[in-house]
Amino acid sequence: MSDEQMKLSKDVIADGYGLIAAAGYINNEGGQAIADAATELIDGGCETLLIDLDGTRIINSIGVSILLEIMERLLEDKGQLAFCNLTPTISKTFEIMGLVQYATIYTDRDAARAGLIGDASV
Amino acid sequence: MEVVLHLPVVPNVELVAAKAVETVGGALGMHQTGIEATSVAIVEACLNAMEHGGGQMVVRMSAETPAGRPGLVIEVEDSGDGFDPVETPRNSSTRVHGCTAKRGWGLTLIKELMDEVQIRSQPGRTLVRMCKYVENAP
Repeated sequence: MSDEQMKLSKDVIADGYGLIAAAGYINNEGGQAIADAATELIDGGCETLLIDLDGTRIINSIGVSILLEIMERLLEDKGQLAFCNLTPTISKTFEIMGLVQYATIYTDRDAARAGLIGDASV
Repeated sequence: MEVVLHLPVVPNVELVAAKAVETVGGALGMHQTGIEATSVAIVEACLNAMEHGGGQMVVRMSAETPAGRPGLVIEVEDSGDGFDPVETPRNSSTRVHGCTAKRGWGLTLIKELMDEVQIRSQPGRTLVRMCKYVENAP
């Protein structure tokens, strides 16, 4: 649970759709790493971002506040933010802090692909 | 069972407290979801103590709950200037989008994720006491 080193990868999974996979502690540094990856994908033409948090077990409010800023930038650009593979506690934290009102939550990556772009293949 | 940690203000020291929750909560038979919720709560309490506490913080964990039910009691104590818990605004998820002030969620998260929370604060000593019962998942 307490691995502090963030493991992160990003990819374009379809035209206009970006994927960020992040595993580790989402604090100010982890949140900023996700934000930097999101900025690269958005600047590269992605209007919809899926953030897969498989392997992330602990977050803090500073990290979530950075995710909120990603969400706001996407909303300003008429884009969309989605998450998948959330633990119950991370899901509840997102609910408390208001992320789930503006982002879509999927159980896993296949469900997210199916819901966002109609493609269940990974 | 009691664990006492004297934590310096260094980056990511809050994860030491979270690791202790994982170990003690597991020994008590706490559900994984309860452990993770308690870990987030103690991380927030430690971050508050580091930001406002004015130096080293003390974290105490014990298995004795006030109601006598199985659970984990955690105290996070700092020696900062203190604050009035009654005056602390409770954040709302409805005021997030477009709001420039996205910080200050620590106490709200602690209250939502834990079963019981008490805050005592005066100049020189702030104590956040929180409890998570073993059988309750968040």
